[in-house]
Amino acid sequence: MYPVQLANRYLTSRIIPLIAVAAVALCVALVVIVVSVMSGFLDMLRASGRTLMGDVVISYPIRGIPWYEQLIDTIEKLPEAQAATPLIDTYGLVRMPYPEGSEKEVVTANVWGVEPQSFNRVTDFSKALYWKPPASPEAAASMSPDDLRLKLSDKILNDGLNLVKSDTGEPGLVLGMHVSIANERMRNGSYRPRYPQWFMPKQYVTLTLVPISAKGTIAEPRERVFPVVNEFKSGVYQIDKNRVMISLAEAQKLLRMDAGTLYDMQAPPNADGSLPVLGTSPAKVSKILVRAKPGVTPDQLQTAVFAAYEKFAYEVAADQSKVVKAPRVDNMSILTWEQHLRDLIAPVEKEREMMRILFSIVYLVCAGLVLSIFWAIVQEKTRDVGILRSVGASRFGILWIFLQYGLVIGAIGGLFGVGLGWLVIHNINFIHETIGQDAPAWSYIASFIIAGISFAMSVRGVTTGVLLSTLLWSVLGFTLAIVGAGLIMHRGTLIWDPSVYYFATIPDQVDWFTAIITWCGAVIFSVLGASIPAAKAADIHPVRALRYE
Amino acid sequence: MSKFLLEAKELRKTYHLGRVKVPVLRGASFTLEQGEWVAILGSSGSGKSTLLHLLGLLDECDADSGGVWFDGKPVADLKFSARNAYRNQSVGFVFQFYHLLPELSVLENALLPNMVNAGMHWFSKRAQAQQHATELLDAFGLSHRLTHRPAELSGGERQRVAIARALANQPRVLLADEPTGNLDTRTGGEILDLIAEKHRKGLSIAMVTHDPAVAARADRVVKLVDGCVAH
Ligand SMILES: Nc1ncnc2c1ncn2[C@@H]1O[C@H](COP(=O)(O)OP(=O)(O)OP(=O)(O)O)[C@@H](O)[C@H]1O
Ligand SMILES: [Mg+2]
Repeated sequence: MYPVQLANRYLTSRIIPLIAVAAVALCVALVVIVVSVMSGFLDMLRASGRTLMGDVVISYPIRGIPWYEQLIDTIEKLPEAQAATPLIDTYGLVRMPYPEGSEKEVVTANVWGVEPQSFNRVTDFSKALYWKPPASPEAAASMSPDDLRLKLSDKILNDGLNLVKSDTGEPGLVLGMHVSIANERMRNGSYRPRYPQWFMPKQYVTLTLVPISAKGTIAEPRERVFPVVNEFKSGVYQIDKNRVMISLAEAQKLLRMDAGTLYDMQAPPNADGSLPVLGTSPAKVSKILVRAKPGVTPDQLQTAVFAAYEKFAYEVAADQSKVVKAPRVDNMSILTWEQHLRDLIAPVEKEREMMRILFSIVYLVCAGLVLSIFWAIVQEKTRDVGILRSVGASRFGILWIFLQYGLVIGAIGGLFGVGLGWLVIHNINFIHETIGQDAPAWSYIASFIIAGISFAMSVRGVTTGVLLSTLLWSVLGFTLAIVGAGLIMHRGTLIWDPSVYYFATIPDQVDWFTAIITWCGAVIFSVLGASIPAAKAADIHPVRALRYE
Repeated sequence: MSKFLLEAKELRKTYHLGRVKVPVLRGASFTLEQGEWVAILGSSGSGKSTLLHLLGLLDECDADSGGVWFDGKPVADLKFSARNAYRNQSVGFVFQFYHLLPELSVLENALLPNMVNAGMHWFSKRAQAQQHATELLDAFGLSHRLTHRPAELSGGERQRVAIARALANQPRVLLADEPTGNLDTRTGGEILDLIAEKHRKGLSIAMVTHDPAVAARADRVVKLVDGCVAH
């Protein structure tokens, strides 16, 4: 029983355990915050990668995949596949409506031609469209009152989804949120045009595409004016900065990938001078995106799609009416979205490796800190160990006292740490925005006033001859004076620059797995830190422990 | 069968200060009969405390020493648990420098050997131990100090708590290292009266002291000279 009572006494009768609890809590919070942000970041990348690409991507970029409707039918019959959609993925130029005058800005863009309905089934495109009325009254309540989206109707959303301007029936174009420099990101993450007249869904842009012939040469570029019908935000900055979407049919027309008649160039011309017809040249697409059924991994789907393609190619080859054959399966690239987005993901995975190493160091430093705090506390108790041993306490009894000591402090400190980490993570975007603003006047005025009071208290300490309070008050005073000066000079800068990181907001979910592991680590290192020096003291002869200075 | 309650033969103790060997005990022998009170005299630094520590198994003597016997049984090479039990019940130790636990109250300090002894059965044994300790502390004039911390006591009061602690498990031998060294003559005398009272009831005592007046109350006086006990 005495170990319990003594541990209890050690814990409750001094200030040091509180300091140890605070230190453990800070260490745990640090680790929880760093890791949660990092892994939240990766999760976001993964989630958006999937919503952007589906799970498996079939591509044959330059010449295009012929008879793709038949391929999609074959794939959609697979038990692993949920939906598939054709896609043209190419590059082009977009002439923006700004600035005023005749010299308009032209940007290069990654142009996706999509079939709106099936594309939405594969990628959740409707979620990515930015201009739409709030989904629910709660969502509306969380927006700032001047948010433009509050005034919108479903029409703009449907126009975006269907890629048409419903007023005129013109085929429409959807821009990535950051393609237009007219859009300004507000601190709460919402967007608005810098000048009201540059609200993009009311503008027209000119898109120029360059068709590539079967021989791989560039044909005459084609351009077309599109009304902008909406804008989308995937959350991945590089994509939002570069991508525009039009309907598949328009893209095929501009790139001459639409269906046509196939003439026999070798045969002698007909009597009327026209070339003999060989058959039809089918419409083509450069990619097909496939989404897996729930519970099917991208790898499983990839295998199934591979087999489906082989079947499709075989059927096309056997079909006498089809002059144009499908490329052989080994010439196709059939990749999971992760493989397909290698360029995007690889640097992040490198970063994650870096973070793992850095994180291990942080963890070890924290572990070392916890260890040494306990070491110092228990070392100071060596004399007590000698006393206990001299009245007959066993070495295990001694160990048990300090084991409990470390256990209680580690567990409580760890809990506080997880709580603190949760608080910070949960409000991290708010904190980030607050830091990103100039300090309000009251903050430095308040800190100067408290600094003044502290100096007064320290002067009082001098006159009453209390050295410690003089010291503490003047340290507080100086700190607050410096903080105040810092606040005056502080100019808001957003540390999380969306052009450097992929996402516009910092992940704000706690990684509970890491939190639990870290808590366990805190307990283990606290117990070790407390029991190692205790065991050491219990092993030596009582008199030596008693003499310990 | 030895007639001595506590016997030490040819004890040697050498401290090593770096390469320098400092022999403190060079074959000191010591005996204590059942019910006897022996005073150990010696100049400062002669090794009196060292000898007492060896008798209480609080330190280890050199390998070429004779050994220590308690009630005729050798104790020097006992197992750990038996050594703990010896320190806890067979002897009570009073240190020159009190050595109380600062976080515990006076009463809890005095109860410490009982708590250690009781282990998991503390709750059932508590009342009895508490009564015994309170009586002792009462007799030592500390009844109004039971809940105080050692830091709030005078040196003399602390030593009285230490004596109460040493007697908590009613050991057969009290090993006291200058128990009255820090007390004024009158208080010291009172404490010695108390110890003498216990002695009359059968407590055997080995007491280190400087004070010839204290030594005079003992049954027998031995002197520690040049690391050996001179009779
Ligand atoms: N741990 C140690 N390391 C080195 N030398 C020690 C150690 N402990 C004791 N000594 C030395 O051993 C000698 C005897 O010490 P001890 O404490 O037994 O003397 P003492 O007779 O009790 O003296 P006093 O009357 O002053 O209490 C001293 O010279 C002391 O310096
Ligand atoms: Mg001494």
